[in-house]
Amino acid sequence: MSEDLRTERKGQLLAVKDLPTLPVVLEEVSKLLEDPNSSTQQIAKLISRDQVLSAKVLKMVNSPIYGFPGRISTIQHALVLLGFNVIKGLIISTSVFELMTTSMVGLWEHSVGCAMACNAIAREAGFKDPEEYAVAGLLHDLGKVIVALQMPTAKEEIDAVVRQEDVLYLDAEKKVLGFGHDRINAWVADHWNLPVNLKIGISGHHRPVTAQHYPKMACVVHVGDVLIRTLEIGSGGDDLVPRLDPEALALLQLDMSQLDKVLDVMLAEIEGDGLSMGLG
Amino acid sequence: MAFFQSLWPPDQVEWTVFQRGPMALEQVFNAPPDLLLVDDDLPQLSGPTLVNMVKSENVYRQLPVVLCLTEEKPLENMDFHAVEMDDFLVYPISPLEARSRLSLTLHRASRELDANPLTKLPGNTSIIQRIQDLIDRKEPFALAYVDLDHFKSFNDKYGFSRGDEVLMMAARVIVNTIRSFAGKLTFVGHVGGDDFVFILPPDTVESACQRIVESFDGIVPHFYDQDDQERGFILSTDRKGNMQRFSMMSVSIAVIFNTDGRLKHFGEASQIAMNLKKKAKSIPGSSYVLDRRQE
Repeated sequence: MSEDLRTERKGQLLAVKDLPTLPVVLEEVSKLLEDPNSSTQQIAKLISRDQVLSAKVLKMVNSPIYGFPGRISTIQHALVLLGFNVIKGLIISTSVFELMTTSMVGLWEHSVGCAMACNAIAREAGFKDPEEYAVAGLLHDLGKVIVALQMPTAKEEIDAVVRQEDVLYLDAEKKVLGFGHDRINAWVADHWNLPVNLKIGISGHHRPVTAQHYPKMACVVHVGDVLIRTLEIGSGGDDLVPRLDPEALALLQLDMSQLDKVLDVMLAEIEGDGLSMGLG
Repeated sequence: MAFFQSLWPPDQVEWTVFQRGPMALEQVFNAPPDLLLVDDDLPQLSGPTLVNMVKSENVYRQLPVVLCLTEEKPLENMDFHAVEMDDFLVYPISPLEARSRLSLTLHRASRELDANPLTKLPGNTSIIQRIQDLIDRKEPFALAYVDLDHFKSFNDKYGFSRGDEVLMMAARVIVNTIRSFAGKLTFVGHVGGDDFVFILPPDTVESACQRIVESFDGIVPHFYDQDDQERGFILSTDRKGNMQRFSMMSVSIAVIFNTDGRLKHFGEASQIAMNLKKKAKSIPGSSYVLDRRQE
Protein backbone atom coordinates (compact mmCIF):
# COMPACT_ATOMS: atom_id res chain seq x y z
CA MET A 1 0.00 0.00 0.00
CA SER A 2 1.33 3.43 -0.86
CA GLU A 3 2.26 5.83 1.91
CA ASP A 4 -0.21 8.43 0.55
CA LEU A 5 -3.14 6.07 0.67
CA ARG A 6 -2.24 5.06 4.21
CA THR A 7 -2.02 8.68 5.35
CA GLU A 8 -5.35 9.42 3.71
CA ARG A 9 -7.04 6.48 5.43
CA LYS A 10 -5.46 7.35 8.75
CA GLY A 11 -6.89 10.86 8.43
CA GLN A 12 -10.29 9.47 7.55
CA LEU A 13 -10.28 7.18 10.59
CA LEU A 14 -9.07 9.83 13.00
CA ALA A 15 -11.77 12.23 11.83
CA VAL A 16 -14.05 10.31 14.16
CA LYS A 17 -15.58 12.92 16.41
CA ASP A 18 -18.52 11.21 17.92
CA LEU A 19 -18.18 7.54 18.53
CA PRO A 20 -21.48 5.82 19.11
CA THR A 21 -22.46 4.44 22.45
CA LEU A 22 -24.93 1.89 23.68
CA PRO A 23 -28.24 3.54 24.60
CA VAL A 24 -28.87 1.29 27.61
CA VAL A 25 -25.68 2.37 29.32
CA LEU A 26 -26.36 5.98 28.46
CA GLU A 27 -29.72 5.89 30.14
CA GLU A 28 -28.43 4.13 33.25
CA VAL A 29 -25.50 6.48 33.68
CA SER A 30 -27.74 9.52 33.30
CA LYS A 31 -30.03 8.13 35.98
CA LEU A 32 -27.13 7.57 38.38
CA LEU A 33 -25.77 11.05 37.74
CA GLU A 34 -29.09 12.56 38.74
CA ASP A 35 -29.18 10.62 42.00
CA PRO A 36 -27.22 12.56 44.65
CA ASN A 37 -26.63 9.34 46.59
CA SER A 38 -24.82 7.49 43.83
CA SER A 39 -21.07 7.06 44.19
CA THR A 40 -18.34 7.50 41.62
CA GLN A 41 -17.65 3.76 41.91
CA GLN A 42 -21.16 2.94 40.72
CA ILE A 43 -20.94 5.39 37.83
CA ALA A 44 -17.44 4.25 36.89
CA LYS A 45 -18.62 0.65 36.81
CA LEU A 46 -21.46 1.51 34.46
CA ILE A 47 -19.35 3.63 32.14
CA SER A 48 -16.73 0.88 32.09
CA ARG A 49 -19.24 -1.42 30.44
CA ASP A 50 -19.28 0.75 27.38
CA GLN A 51 -16.07 0.93 25.40
CA VAL A 52 -17.13 4.00 23.47
CA LEU A 53 -18.16 6.05 26.47
CA SER A 54 -15.02 4.87 28.29
CA ALA A 55 -12.84 5.95 25.40
CA LYS A 56 -14.49 9.38 25.35
CA VAL A 57 -14.03 9.89 29.08
CA LEU A 58 -10.36 8.88 28.90
CA LYS A 59 -9.79 11.03 25.83
CA MET A 60 -11.23 14.03 27.63
CA VAL A 61 -9.36 13.65 30.92
CA ASN A 62 -6.06 13.12 29.07
CA SER A 63 -6.53 16.13 26.80
CA PRO A 64 -4.18 19.09 27.37
CA ILE A 65 -7.12 21.21 28.61
CA TYR A 66 -6.93 19.54 32.01
CA GLY A 67 -3.20 19.97 32.19
CA PHE A 68 -1.97 16.40 32.71
CA PRO A 69 -2.05 14.66 29.31
CA GLY A 70 -1.29 10.95 29.19
CA ARG A 71 -1.60 10.30 32.94
CA ILE A 72 -5.01 8.81 33.63
CA SER A 73 -5.97 5.31 32.60
CA THR A 74 -8.89 4.30 34.82
CA ILE A 75 -12.48 5.47 34.59
CA GLN A 76 -12.75 5.87 38.35
CA HIS A 77 -9.91 8.37 38.41
CA ALA A 78 -11.20 10.10 35.30
CA LEU A 79 -14.56 10.64 36.98
CA VAL A 80 -13.01 12.25 40.05
CA LEU A 81 -10.97 14.57 37.86
CA LEU A 82 -13.63 15.48 35.32
CA GLY A 83 -16.55 15.88 37.70
CA PHE A 84 -20.17 14.99 37.12
CA ASN A 85 -20.92 18.10 35.09
CA VAL A 86 -18.43 17.24 32.39
CA ILE A 87 -19.56 13.62 32.36
CA LYS A 88 -23.15 14.74 31.95
CA GLY A 89 -22.11 16.99 29.09
CA LEU A 90 -20.22 14.15 27.46
CA ILE A 91 -23.21 11.87 27.68
CA ILE A 92 -25.62 14.45 26.35
CA SER A 93 -23.32 15.25 23.45
CA THR A 94 -22.86 11.60 22.60
CA SER A 95 -25.06 10.77 19.70
CA VAL A 96 -26.39 7.28 19.59
CA PHE A 97 -25.84 5.40 16.38
CA GLU A 98 -28.02 2.42 15.65
CA LEU A 99 -25.03 0.94 13.91
CA MET A 100 -23.46 0.06 17.22
CA THR A 101 -26.35 -2.00 18.52
CA THR A 102 -26.97 -3.76 15.21
CA SER A 103 -23.56 -4.61 13.82
CA MET A 104 -21.38 -4.46 16.91
CA VAL A 105 -23.22 -6.17 19.73
CA GLY A 106 -21.04 -9.26 19.58
CA LEU A 107 -17.97 -7.05 19.79
CA TRP A 108 -19.27 -5.34 22.89
CA GLU A 109 -19.64 -8.63 24.74
CA HIS A 110 -16.25 -9.75 23.51
CA SER A 111 -14.71 -6.48 24.76
CA VAL A 112 -16.33 -6.55 28.20
CA GLY A 113 -15.34 -10.22 28.51
CA CYS A 114 -11.77 -9.41 27.57
CA ALA A 115 -11.67 -6.62 30.16
CA MET A 116 -12.82 -9.07 32.81
CA ALA A 117 -10.19 -11.59 31.69
CA CYS A 118 -7.43 -8.97 31.79
CA ASN A 119 -8.41 -7.98 35.31
CA ALA A 120 -8.29 -11.62 36.45
CA ILE A 121 -4.93 -12.23 34.73
CA ALA A 122 -3.36 -9.09 36.20
CA ARG A 123 -4.52 -10.12 39.67
CA GLU A 124 -3.18 -13.67 39.20
CA ALA A 125 0.16 -12.25 38.05
CA GLY A 126 0.20 -10.03 41.16
CA PHE A 127 0.18 -6.69 39.32
CA LYS A 128 -0.85 -3.41 40.91
CA ASP A 129 -3.93 -1.61 39.52
CA PRO A 130 -5.63 -4.49 37.70
CA GLU A 131 -8.29 -1.96 36.59
CA GLU A 132 -5.79 -0.44 34.17
CA TYR A 133 -5.37 -3.77 32.46
CA ALA A 134 -9.15 -4.11 32.35
CA VAL A 135 -9.48 -0.76 30.56
CA ALA A 136 -6.91 -1.87 27.96
CA GLY A 137 -8.87 -5.10 27.51
CA LEU A 138 -12.09 -3.17 27.07
CA LEU A 139 -10.62 -0.91 24.40
CA HIS A 140 -8.46 -3.47 22.58
CA ASP A 141 -10.80 -3.73 19.56
CA LEU A 142 -11.75 -0.04 19.41
CA GLY A 143 -10.15 0.17 15.96
CA LYS A 144 -12.80 -2.19 14.62
CA VAL A 145 -15.58 0.14 15.78
CA ILE A 146 -13.85 3.10 14.19
CA VAL A 147 -13.54 1.35 10.82
CA ALA A 148 -17.22 0.37 10.94
CA LEU A 149 -18.13 3.98 11.58
CA GLN A 150 -15.75 5.82 9.31
CA MET A 151 -15.32 3.36 6.44
CA PRO A 152 -18.52 1.28 6.28
CA THR A 153 -17.76 -0.13 2.83
CA ALA A 154 -14.32 -1.28 3.95
CA LYS A 155 -16.01 -2.93 6.95
CA GLU A 156 -18.27 -4.90 4.58
CA GLU A 157 -15.29 -5.98 2.51
CA ILE A 158 -13.47 -7.18 5.64
CA ASP A 159 -16.53 -9.15 6.74
CA ALA A 160 -16.72 -10.74 3.29
CA VAL A 161 -13.05 -11.77 3.36
CA VAL A 162 -13.51 -13.29 6.84
CA ARG A 163 -16.52 -15.32 5.60
CA GLN A 164 -15.00 -16.48 2.32
CA GLU A 165 -11.47 -17.27 3.43
CA ASP A 166 -12.06 -18.16 7.10
CA VAL A 167 -9.16 -16.00 8.31
CA LEU A 168 -8.65 -13.89 11.44
CA TYR A 169 -10.39 -10.50 11.35
CA LEU A 170 -6.95 -8.92 11.70
CA ASP A 171 -5.68 -10.63 8.55
CA ALA A 172 -8.78 -9.60 6.61
CA GLU A 173 -8.25 -5.99 7.75
CA LYS A 174 -4.67 -6.10 6.52
CA LYS A 175 -5.83 -7.46 3.18
CA VAL A 176 -8.51 -4.80 2.70
CA LEU A 177 -7.03 -1.76 4.43
CA GLY A 178 -3.33 -2.49 4.45
CA PHE A 179 -3.23 -2.34 8.26
CA GLY A 180 -5.09 -3.83 11.20
CA HIS A 181 -7.14 -2.48 14.11
CA ASP A 182 -4.02 -2.71 16.29
CA ARG A 183 -2.42 0.00 14.17
CA ILE A 184 -5.60 2.11 14.30
CA ASN A 185 -5.61 1.76 18.08
CA ALA A 186 -2.10 3.20 18.24
CA TRP A 187 -3.15 6.19 16.09
CA VAL A 188 -6.23 6.81 18.20
CA ALA A 189 -4.22 6.54 21.42
CA ASP A 190 -1.77 9.19 20.16
CA HIS A 191 -4.57 11.33 18.81
CA TRP A 192 -6.32 11.29 22.20
CA ASN A 193 -3.18 11.57 24.38
CA LEU A 194 -3.93 8.30 26.14
CA PRO A 195 -1.26 7.11 28.61
CA VAL A 196 1.54 5.06 27.05
CA ASN A 197 0.68 1.89 28.98
CA LEU A 198 -2.86 1.98 27.63
CA LYS A 199 -1.59 2.60 24.11
CA ILE A 200 0.73 -0.41 24.31
CA GLY A 201 -2.07 -2.55 25.71
CA ILE A 202 -4.48 -1.81 22.88
CA SER A 203 -1.99 -1.64 20.01
CA GLY A 204 0.34 -4.48 20.98
CA HIS A 205 -2.04 -7.27 21.84
CA HIS A 206 -1.40 -9.19 18.61
CA ARG A 207 2.41 -9.03 18.89
CA PRO A 208 2.81 -8.61 22.65
CA VAL A 209 6.43 -9.52 23.24
CA THR A 210 7.78 -7.00 20.71
CA ALA A 211 6.42 -4.08 22.73
CA GLN A 212 9.39 -2.04 23.98
CA HIS A 213 7.74 -0.41 26.98
CA TYR A 214 5.08 -1.97 29.14
CA PRO A 215 5.26 -5.36 27.37
CA LYS A 216 3.33 -6.83 30.31
CA MET A 217 0.33 -4.68 29.43
CA ALA A 218 0.34 -6.01 25.86
CA CYS A 219 0.84 -9.58 27.11
CA VAL A 220 -2.08 -9.40 29.54
CA VAL A 221 -4.43 -8.13 26.80
CA HIS A 222 -3.12 -10.77 24.41
CA VAL A 223 -3.79 -13.59 26.84
CA GLY A 224 -7.15 -12.06 27.83
CA ASP A 225 -8.21 -11.89 24.17
CA VAL A 226 -7.29 -15.54 23.60
CA LEU A 227 -9.05 -16.71 26.77
CA ILE A 228 -12.32 -14.92 26.09
CA ARG A 229 -12.37 -16.26 22.53
CA THR A 230 -11.73 -19.75 23.85
CA LEU A 231 -14.78 -19.35 26.10
CA GLU A 232 -16.73 -18.24 22.99
CA ILE A 233 -18.18 -15.16 24.64
CA GLY A 234 -19.21 -12.45 22.18
CA SER A 235 -17.48 -12.11 18.86
CA GLY A 236 -14.34 -10.36 17.65
CA GLY A 237 -15.66 -10.53 14.08
CA ASP A 238 -14.41 -14.01 13.17
CA ASP A 239 -14.74 -17.52 14.56
CA LEU A 240 -11.06 -18.25 15.09
CA VAL A 241 -8.94 -18.25 18.20
CA PRO A 242 -5.60 -16.47 17.74
CA ARG A 243 -2.52 -18.50 18.65
CA LEU A 244 -1.50 -18.05 22.27
CA ASP A 245 2.04 -16.71 22.31
CA PRO A 246 3.98 -18.85 24.83
CA GLU A 247 6.52 -16.06 25.27
CA ALA A 248 3.74 -13.80 26.52
CA LEU A 249 2.91 -16.30 29.25
CA ALA A 250 6.59 -16.62 30.08
CA LEU A 251 6.93 -12.86 30.38
CA LEU A 252 3.96 -12.74 32.73
CA GLN A 253 5.51 -15.65 34.65
CA LEU A 254 2.25 -17.57 34.45
CA ASP A 255 1.91 -21.30 33.84
CA MET A 256 -1.01 -23.30 32.50
CA SER A 257 -2.35 -24.22 35.91
CA GLN A 258 -2.58 -20.52 36.75
CA LEU A 259 -4.46 -19.88 33.50
CA ASP A 260 -6.93 -22.57 34.56
CA LYS A 261 -7.40 -20.66 37.77
CA VAL A 262 -8.05 -17.46 35.81
CA LEU A 263 -10.63 -19.27 33.68
CA ASP A 264 -12.38 -20.51 36.84
CA VAL A 265 -12.48 -16.98 38.25
CA MET A 266 -13.93 -15.66 35.00
CA LEU A 267 -16.60 -18.32 34.75
CA ALA A 268 -17.61 -17.71 38.34
CA GLU A 269 -17.84 -13.97 37.74
CA ILE A 270 -19.86 -14.37 34.57
CA GLU A 271 -22.30 -16.65 36.38
CA GLY A 272 -22.45 -14.36 39.37
CA ASP A 273 -22.75 -10.91 37.88
CA GLY A 274 -23.11 -11.21 34.13
CA LEU A 275 -20.85 -9.27 31.85
CA SER A 276 -20.29 -6.13 33.82
CA MET A 277 -17.72 -6.76 36.49
CA GLY A 278 -14.03 -6.50 36.76
CA LEU A 279 -13.69 -2.92 35.64
CA GLY A 280 -12.46 0.19 37.40
CA MET B 1 -15.02 64.15 28.17
CA ALA B 2 -18.18 65.66 29.47
CA PHE B 3 -19.89 62.69 27.89
CA PHE B 4 -18.07 60.18 30.14
CA GLN B 5 -18.47 62.37 33.20
CA SER B 6 -22.21 62.33 32.67
CA LEU B 7 -22.39 58.52 32.64
CA TRP B 8 -22.32 58.10 36.42
CA PRO B 9 -23.25 60.52 39.22
CA PRO B 10 -20.10 62.23 40.54
CA ASP B 11 -20.39 60.60 43.98
CA GLN B 12 -20.07 57.16 42.37
CA VAL B 13 -17.35 57.68 39.79
CA GLU B 14 -14.67 60.29 39.94
CA TRP B 15 -12.88 61.23 36.73
CA THR B 16 -9.49 62.86 36.50
CA VAL B 17 -8.84 64.39 33.08
CA PHE B 18 -5.47 65.03 31.46
CA GLN B 19 -5.02 66.72 28.12
CA ARG B 20 -1.53 65.37 27.51
CA GLY B 21 -0.06 61.90 27.84
CA PRO B 22 3.09 62.67 29.84
CA MET B 23 1.14 64.40 32.62
CA ALA B 24 -1.27 61.49 32.85
CA LEU B 25 1.59 58.99 33.10
CA GLU B 26 3.02 60.54 36.22
CA GLN B 27 -0.34 60.46 37.97
CA VAL B 28 -1.05 56.91 36.80
CA PHE B 29 2.27 55.64 38.10
CA ASN B 30 1.92 57.38 41.46
CA ALA B 31 -1.74 56.78 42.15
CA PRO B 32 -3.13 54.17 39.77
CA PRO B 33 -6.86 54.63 39.09
CA ASP B 34 -9.38 51.75 38.96
CA LEU B 35 -9.67 52.17 35.22
CA LEU B 36 -7.75 54.14 32.61
CA LEU B 37 -9.55 55.55 29.57
CA VAL B 38 -7.14 56.72 26.88
CA ASP B 39 -7.92 58.81 23.83
CA ASP B 40 -6.28 57.41 20.73
CA ASP B 41 -5.38 60.81 19.43
CA LEU B 42 -3.22 62.53 22.05
CA PRO B 43 -0.57 65.18 21.38
CA GLN B 44 3.07 64.44 22.29
CA LEU B 45 2.51 60.90 23.47
CA SER B 46 0.06 58.87 21.40
CA GLY B 47 -2.68 56.80 23.04
CA PRO B 48 -1.24 53.39 22.04
CA THR B 49 2.23 54.37 23.26
CA LEU B 50 0.80 55.45 26.60
CA VAL B 51 -1.12 52.17 26.89
CA ASN B 52 2.03 50.16 26.25
CA MET B 53 4.08 52.15 28.73
CA VAL B 54 1.57 51.38 31.46
CA LYS B 55 1.20 47.73 30.45
CA SER B 56 4.92 47.03 30.16
CA GLU B 57 5.36 47.44 33.91
CA ASN B 58 4.29 44.34 35.81
CA VAL B 59 2.99 46.39 38.75
CA TYR B 60 0.55 48.23 36.51
CA ARG B 61 -0.37 45.39 34.15
CA GLN B 62 -3.49 44.66 36.17
CA LEU B 63 -4.85 48.19 35.62
CA PRO B 64 -7.67 47.90 33.07
CA VAL B 65 -7.07 50.19 30.11
CA VAL B 66 -9.68 51.16 27.52
CA LEU B 67 -8.67 52.93 24.32
CA CYS B 68 -11.16 55.39 22.88
CA LEU B 69 -11.16 55.40 19.08
CA THR B 70 -13.17 57.47 16.61
CA GLU B 71 -14.93 56.35 13.47
CA GLU B 72 -12.46 58.22 11.29
CA LYS B 73 -9.64 55.84 12.07
CA PRO B 74 -10.38 52.46 10.48
CA LEU B 75 -10.22 49.50 12.88
CA GLU B 76 -8.49 47.42 10.19
CA ASN B 77 -5.34 49.41 10.87
CA MET B 78 -5.28 48.55 14.58
CA ASP B 79 -2.68 46.00 15.56
CA PHE B 80 -4.32 44.41 18.60
CA HIS B 81 -1.27 42.34 19.25
CA ALA B 82 0.97 45.39 19.58
CA VAL B 83 -1.34 47.55 21.71
CA GLU B 84 -2.03 45.88 25.04
CA MET B 85 -5.34 47.48 25.90
CA ASP B 86 -8.10 45.53 27.62
CA ASP B 87 -10.94 46.90 25.51
CA PHE B 88 -11.80 49.78 23.19
CA LEU B 89 -14.74 52.07 22.48
CA VAL B 90 -15.56 53.67 19.15
CA TYR B 91 -16.86 57.20 19.51
CA PRO B 92 -19.69 58.26 18.99
CA ILE B 93 -21.23 55.70 21.30
CA SER B 94 -24.53 55.56 23.19
CA PRO B 95 -24.37 56.38 26.92
CA LEU B 96 -25.86 52.97 27.79
CA GLU B 97 -23.25 51.07 25.80
CA ALA B 98 -20.35 53.14 27.11
CA ARG B 99 -21.45 52.63 30.70
CA SER B 100 -21.97 48.91 30.23
CA ARG B 101 -18.67 48.35 28.46
CA LEU B 102 -16.67 50.25 31.07
CA SER B 103 -18.25 48.44 33.98
CA LEU B 104 -17.75 45.09 32.24
CA THR B 105 -14.07 45.89 31.77
CA LEU B 106 -13.76 46.80 35.42
CA HIS B 107 -15.44 43.61 36.63
CA ARG B 108 -13.54 41.40 34.24
CA ALA B 109 -10.28 42.84 35.48
CA SER B 110 -11.10 42.17 39.12
CA ARG B 111 -12.14 38.60 38.32
CA GLU B 112 -9.01 37.83 36.32
CA LEU B 113 -6.67 39.58 38.66
CA ASP B 114 -7.27 37.39 41.66
CA ALA B 115 -7.54 34.04 39.87
CA ASN B 116 -4.60 31.67 40.14
CA PRO B 117 -2.95 31.65 36.70
CA LEU B 118 -2.51 27.87 36.69
CA THR B 119 -5.74 26.53 38.11
CA LYS B 120 -7.94 29.61 37.51
CA LEU B 121 -9.31 29.15 41.03
CA PRO B 122 -10.01 32.28 43.12
CA GLY B 123 -6.92 33.56 44.92
CA ASN B 124 -6.16 35.22 48.24
CA THR B 125 -8.28 38.35 47.93
CA SER B 126 -11.41 36.35 47.15
CA ILE B 127 -10.59 33.76 49.82
CA ILE B 128 -10.18 36.35 52.56
CA GLN B 129 -13.30 38.20 51.46
CA ARG B 130 -15.36 35.03 51.46
CA ILE B 131 -14.22 33.94 54.90
CA GLN B 132 -14.62 37.37 56.48
CA ASP B 133 -18.05 37.65 54.93
CA LEU B 134 -19.15 34.34 56.51
CA ILE B 135 -17.68 35.39 59.86
CA ASP B 136 -19.51 38.71 59.74
CA ARG B 137 -22.79 36.99 58.96
CA LYS B 138 -22.14 34.55 61.85
CA GLU B 139 -22.79 31.69 59.48
CA PRO B 140 -21.50 28.30 60.71
CA PHE B 141 -18.93 26.82 58.33
CA ALA B 142 -15.95 24.51 58.14
CA LEU B 143 -12.78 25.89 56.61
CA ALA B 144 -10.16 23.45 55.37
CA TYR B 145 -6.54 24.18 54.47
CA VAL B 146 -5.07 21.59 52.11
CA ASP B 147 -1.45 21.19 51.21
CA LEU B 148 0.71 18.58 49.56
CA ASP B 149 3.49 16.75 51.42
CA HIS B 150 6.78 16.20 49.55
CA PHE B 151 5.70 18.40 46.65
CA LYS B 152 9.02 20.22 46.63
CA SER B 153 11.11 17.10 46.18
CA PHE B 154 8.83 15.99 43.35
CA ASN B 155 9.23 19.40 41.69
CA ASP B 156 13.00 19.27 42.15
CA LYS B 157 13.30 15.88 40.57
CA TYR B 158 10.83 16.11 37.68
CA GLY B 159 10.77 19.84 36.95
CA PHE B 160 8.10 22.47 37.44
CA SER B 161 5.93 21.53 34.48
CA ARG B 162 5.40 18.06 35.99
CA GLY B 163 4.80 19.82 39.31
CA ASP B 164 2.13 21.95 37.65
CA GLU B 165 0.43 18.78 36.42
CA VAL B 166 0.14 17.61 40.01
CA LEU B 167 -1.28 20.95 41.15
CA MET B 168 -3.87 20.83 38.36
CA MET B 169 -4.77 17.31 39.41
CA ALA B 170 -5.07 18.27 43.08
CA ALA B 171 -7.25 21.25 42.15
CA ARG B 172 -9.59 19.03 40.11
CA VAL B 173 -9.85 16.46 42.88
CA ILE B 174 -10.71 19.11 45.46
CA VAL B 175 -13.15 21.01 43.25
CA ASN B 176 -15.07 17.92 42.14
CA THR B 177 -15.22 16.46 45.62
CA ILE B 178 -16.53 19.72 47.06
CA ARG B 179 -18.99 20.10 44.18
CA SER B 180 -20.47 16.69 44.87
CA PHE B 181 -21.59 18.11 48.24
CA ALA B 182 -23.84 20.55 46.44
CA GLY B 183 -24.99 23.54 48.43
CA LYS B 184 -24.62 27.28 48.51
CA LEU B 185 -21.97 27.20 51.19
CA THR B 186 -19.20 25.68 49.11
CA PHE B 187 -16.05 27.38 47.94
CA VAL B 188 -12.61 26.34 46.69
CA GLY B 189 -9.66 28.69 46.47
CA HIS B 190 -5.99 28.38 45.55
CA VAL B 191 -3.77 30.24 48.02
CA GLY B 192 -0.77 29.60 45.78
CA GLY B 193 1.80 26.87 45.16
CA ASP B 194 0.60 23.64 46.72
CA ASP B 195 -1.81 25.33 49.17
CA PHE B 196 -5.55 25.21 48.69
CA VAL B 197 -8.57 26.05 50.85
CA PHE B 198 -12.16 24.94 50.75
CA ILE B 199 -15.32 25.78 52.67
CA LEU B 200 -18.20 23.41 53.41
CA PRO B 201 -21.07 23.14 55.88
CA PRO B 202 -19.66 21.70 59.16
CA ASP B 203 -21.55 18.40 58.92
CA THR B 204 -20.19 17.37 55.50
CA VAL B 205 -16.55 18.33 55.85
CA GLU B 206 -15.23 15.09 57.31
CA SER B 207 -16.53 12.88 54.52
CA ALA B 208 -15.18 15.38 51.99
CA CYS B 209 -11.73 15.07 53.60
CA GLN B 210 -11.94 11.29 53.44
CA ARG B 211 -12.84 11.38 49.75
CA ILE B 212 -10.10 13.84 48.85
CA VAL B 213 -7.49 11.74 50.64
CA GLU B 214 -8.72 8.57 48.96
CA SER B 215 -8.85 10.04 45.45
CA PHE B 216 -5.52 11.82 45.74
CA ASP B 217 -3.72 8.73 47.04
CA GLY B 218 -5.16 6.65 44.22
CA ILE B 219 -4.26 9.06 41.45
CA VAL B 220 -0.91 10.59 42.45
CA PRO B 221 1.31 7.53 41.71
CA HIS B 222 0.49 7.95 37.98
CA PHE B 223 2.38 11.22 37.99
CA TYR B 224 5.68 9.48 38.83
CA ASP B 225 7.93 7.65 36.39
CA GLN B 226 7.34 3.94 36.29
CA ASP B 227 10.48 2.95 38.20
CA ASP B 228 9.81 5.45 41.01
CA GLN B 229 6.22 4.26 41.13
CA GLU B 230 7.37 0.70 41.69
CA ARG B 231 9.98 1.70 44.25
CA GLY B 232 7.44 3.80 46.14
CA PHE B 233 9.82 6.69 46.82
CA ILE B 234 12.11 9.06 44.92
CA LEU B 235 15.74 9.99 45.40
CA SER B 236 16.38 13.71 45.40
CA THR B 237 18.68 16.21 47.09
CA ASP B 238 17.45 17.81 50.31
CA ARG B 239 17.87 21.44 51.34
CA LYS B 240 21.46 20.77 52.40
CA GLY B 241 22.35 19.16 49.07
CA ASN B 242 22.44 15.57 50.35
CA MET B 243 20.83 12.71 48.45
CA GLN B 244 17.78 11.54 50.31
CA ARG B 245 14.74 9.33 49.96
CA PHE B 246 11.42 11.13 49.67
CA SER B 247 8.06 9.44 50.09
CA MET B 248 5.34 9.73 47.47
CA MET B 249 3.27 12.91 47.70
CA SER B 250 0.31 12.90 50.05
CA VAL B 251 -2.25 15.47 51.25
CA SER B 252 -2.55 17.07 54.69
CA ILE B 253 -5.81 18.80 55.54
CA ALA B 254 -6.47 21.00 58.58
CA VAL B 255 -10.11 21.86 59.30
CA ILE B 256 -11.40 24.56 61.63
CA PHE B 257 -15.04 25.21 62.48
CA ASN B 258 -16.85 28.44 62.95
CA THR B 259 -19.78 27.41 65.08
CA ASP B 260 -21.70 29.70 67.49
CA GLY B 261 -19.90 32.64 65.94
CA ARG B 262 -16.65 31.87 67.77
CA LEU B 263 -14.44 33.48 65.12
CA LYS B 264 -14.28 37.24 64.96
CA HIS B 265 -11.72 37.79 62.26
CA PHE B 266 -10.17 36.06 59.27
CA GLY B 267 -6.73 36.28 60.88
CA GLU B 268 -7.87 34.09 63.76
CA ALA B 269 -9.09 31.44 61.34
CA SER B 270 -5.83 31.27 59.44
CA GLN B 271 -3.75 31.22 62.63
CA ILE B 272 -5.62 28.29 64.17
CA ALA B 273 -5.44 26.53 60.81
CA MET B 274 -1.68 26.95 60.53
CA ASN B 275 -1.12 25.36 63.95
CA LEU B 276 -3.41 22.53 63.05
CA LYS B 277 -1.64 22.04 59.75
CA LYS B 278 1.60 21.30 61.56
CA LYS B 279 -0.19 18.50 63.35
CA ALA B 280 -1.62 17.11 60.10
CA LYS B 281 1.79 17.25 58.41
CA SER B 282 3.47 15.39 61.24
CA ILE B 283 1.30 12.36 60.46
CA PRO B 284 3.01 10.32 57.71
CA GLY B 285 0.97 9.81 54.54
CA SER B 286 -2.29 11.56 53.75
CA SER B 287 -4.28 12.75 56.73
CA TYR B 288 -6.79 15.28 57.99
CA VAL B 289 -7.11 16.92 61.40
CA LEU B 290 -10.35 18.45 62.68
CA ASP B 291 -10.31 21.25 65.23
CA ARG B 292 -12.96 20.01 67.61
CA ARG B 293 -12.49 22.59 70.34
CA GLN B 294 -15.64 24.19 71.72
CA GLU B 295 -17.87 21.56 70.20
